[in-house]
Amino acid sequence: MTSASVTTPGRRGSGLTVGGFLRSYGIVVALVILVGAITVAQPGFLAYGNLMNILSQWAPVGIMGIGMTYVVITGGFDLSVAAIYSLCAVVAAALGRSEPPLLAFAVALLVGLVVGIANGFVVTGLRVNPFIATLGMSLIISGVTLVLTGNIAFVVNFEPFTVLGTGRMLGIPFSGMLLIVLMVVAGLILAYTPYGQAIYAVGGNTEASRLAGIRTSFTTASSYALSGLCAAIAGIITASQLSSAQPSTNQNLVFDVLTVVIVGGTSLTGGRGAIWRTAVGVAILATLQNGFNLLDIDAYYQNIIKGLIIIAALATVDWRRMLRRPGSPRTAPPSPTPAPSSTSDTLTHR
Amino acid sequence: MTDQTMMPERLLEVSHLTKAYPGVRALTDVSFVAHAGEVHGLVGENGAGKSTLLKIISGAVRHDAGAVVICGTHLAGGDPHEASAAGSATIYQELTIVPDLSAVSNVFLGHLPQRFGIVDARRARAAFADAADTVGLTARAGARAGGLSTAAQQLLEIMRALVLGKRVVIMDEPTASLGPEDSQKLHAVIRSLRDTGHAVVYVSHDLDAVLEVCDTVTVLREGSVIETRPAAEWQKSSLISRMLGGVTLDTVAPGRPSAPAGPALLQVSGLRAPGVHLEHLELRAGEIVGLAGLVGSGRTRLLRALAGAERVDSGSITVGGSARRWPTTPRRALSLGIALAPEDRKHQGLLLGRPAAWNVALGRFAVAAAHRAVRAVRLARWAEPASTRVGFSSSRLGALAGELSGGNQQKLVLARWLSRPTICLLLDEPTRGIDIGAKAQIFETTREIVGEGRAVVWSSSDLEEVVRHSDRILVVAAGRVVAELPGGSTVHDVLEISYAATGDALAEPSGAVSNASAGSGRASTDSKGPV
Repeated sequence: MTSASVTTPGRRGSGLTVGGFLRSYGIVVALVILVGAITVAQPGFLAYGNLMNILSQWAPVGIMGIGMTYVVITGGFDLSVAAIYSLCAVVAAALGRSEPPLLAFAVALLVGLVVGIANGFVVTGLRVNPFIATLGMSLIISGVTLVLTGNIAFVVNFEPFTVLGTGRMLGIPFSGMLLIVLMVVAGLILAYTPYGQAIYAVGGNTEASRLAGIRTSFTTASSYALSGLCAAIAGIITASQLSSAQPSTNQNLVFDVLTVVIVGGTSLTGGRGAIWRTAVGVAILATLQNGFNLLDIDAYYQNIIKGLIIIAALATVDWRRMLRRPGSPRTAPPSPTPAPSSTSDTLTHR
Repeated sequence: MTDQTMMPERLLEVSHLTKAYPGVRALTDVSFVAHAGEVHGLVGENGAGKSTLLKIISGAVRHDAGAVVICGTHLAGGDPHEASAAGSATIYQELTIVPDLSAVSNVFLGHLPQRFGIVDARRARAAFADAADTVGLTARAGARAGGLSTAAQQLLEIMRALVLGKRVVIMDEPTASLGPEDSQKLHAVIRSLRDTGHAVVYVSHDLDAVLEVCDTVTVLREGSVIETRPAAEWQKSSLISRMLGGVTLDTVAPGRPSAPAGPALLQVSGLRAPGVHLEHLELRAGEIVGLAGLVGSGRTRLLRALAGAERVDSGSITVGGSARRWPTTPRRALSLGIALAPEDRKHQGLLLGRPAAWNVALGRFAVAAAHRAVRAVRLARWAEPASTRVGFSSSRLGALAGELSGGNQQKLVLARWLSRPTICLLLDEPTRGIDIGAKAQIFETTREIVGEGRAVVWSSSDLEEVVRHSDRILVVAAGRVVAELPGGSTVHDVLEISYAATGDALAEPSGAVSNASAGSGRASTDSKGPV
């Protein structure tokens, strides 16, 4: 009665049922269908070179998605990633003109980490709503970036600076490799370490976690620090890819990062989600975008379709919740915990 | 079923209901009838099928076979609106009051009387006043519902049924969150509902209350009706033996204090926090200390302050003879060996969407997984000994916490603290809403764990339980420990002191802590609220 007893008989929605499978892995099925459809329309999509280009192009968003996934699972939100990304790209480029690339990158990383820690402090220490906190921080960071640079782009004319962004091995871009390595490491940490489980615990029920002795503030704050670090890495990659950096902040980037996290199926209410989901989210968005380009679809339409997809992704989540609690009698008591789910919510949150 | 000669109207008729969930047969051929002018009690252990039965009657769940007839309307099932339109109102243990709306808006929620498309406030207030009169609610129509006591909120729900002319009122554990005084008032309201031709279905674990207020009592066990009899023909003991089946009364009898208390484990003095005032408390190894007090007496705040979960103004603590810094967080309290099992298991104790074993390991994943990858199998293996000790079947360690009964959820929280080094367990309302079997198990476990050199401080709204299962009883009123009674005292003693002390505390302005709104709900709701 030890290890074998973990599997539960009679757990609804889990195991081998089709509904249960689709609820957990439907997003993967969607990706496969999407890839299939685009390949049929444009066989060139699956070409090795094209795929590697996609990987390199989406590495920054994917890496920011990692940090965002952690933050969202704790029940938070980070709207400042685009601003941190720009700031760190500028820092890397500005230093990269005169200093060795590694030093420039290290300083940029440090800047991202510090800003992330500041976010974490505002959210947990000052108890400001994460949405407002990071929106405010985003404005501050963008402003600081523009003030420091005088809104001038920095161009780096130094070959080694571009290796990270443009270098390849066997045709695989370094930036893509970095994305994959970071995703694997962050995914394993989230799924299999006490720290990762604490991230889920805090997002699932902060008070219960606190009473159980989890350092809830530290855990939450750390996710913002991680998100800042990820934004810095993304900024560095972009600076290196372009050998230059623009001080202006592209807020659409926040939207892309949130989209990959949400489309993957990580819940905005916290406590549920996974890095592999974000990976699938990146793949879906990248496939769509690349498919649009291959099929010559207007960029304006692309935005419309992206918007529809993110709404559809969230609507599906709600629809699932309704399936779980048919005719829930409760209307009023605002519960700090998300409704109990019957989806196959195993420990590793597959 | 009943052999009454004069047959009053059958308002609720349930016949041959059967309901199965995958792998579980929840109800088998369940039949009973509630007549106009009858309070019909439903009792049974958790898992006996009461909840499923209620869900079917209220339309939350569809039945597989059988029929539900409310005021002559056959329910197709699975539609709460249908059940409501047929003339039934269900009042759940967790009330559906919208805190930010006024009392009158809550009563008419979604059904405000209108004239020319505009809310007819005058008519609403008149109907509110009528209904308030019937149930004895003194709160103003415009009062914010969230500011009312739990008892008053419950009355609002009953009024909701009244103004909409519902004739079948179903109440799930209505006294669970009420003090003795408010329970009495509620019972008076229920009797007046009965006398005005309503049928009331009364579901409760509190057998004394059931016997007091019900006319007929039906016992459920394992999804079947065991027996229906007029309440006058039941005694508590016969109810219990029917509910439990083979189990005899002895197993649920209280354990007497086994050994005299050992060395002092913990001393607390000069504890001051909003709504908490504790001069001195010494806990000795091997003793169970009960906190008794009316609802709103501040038991929850006191326990939370001791567990580091509330901000305190001052206080000093001595653990095993050496003075320590006051624990300002639950984490620090845990490192001193003080653990709290909170009152609100669902919202403060557990993550309902996570497996049972994970919940036992919560906060100790590294140790539970032996500093290796945290995997379900490891957590389950680690949680097994503690689960077994509290009587939680290890075969269910993989089940989601939210799918377990209240009793099993409580056992999980106990198992969590048993699986780590603690010297003092604080159990806030550990027996609320759980069945007799689980209660007996929890008392047994509690006795066992203090036997290993720990101390337990616990509270319950059920005073009889407190006096029966504690070695010492601290009577709490208005956040203060006003008296200490030896084990074996009576409920009467406790009540006498409580009422006297609460009166005093309310009379003296500086002691006006009883209406402080605590971070955690009901126990801190003012019992003297506008009812």
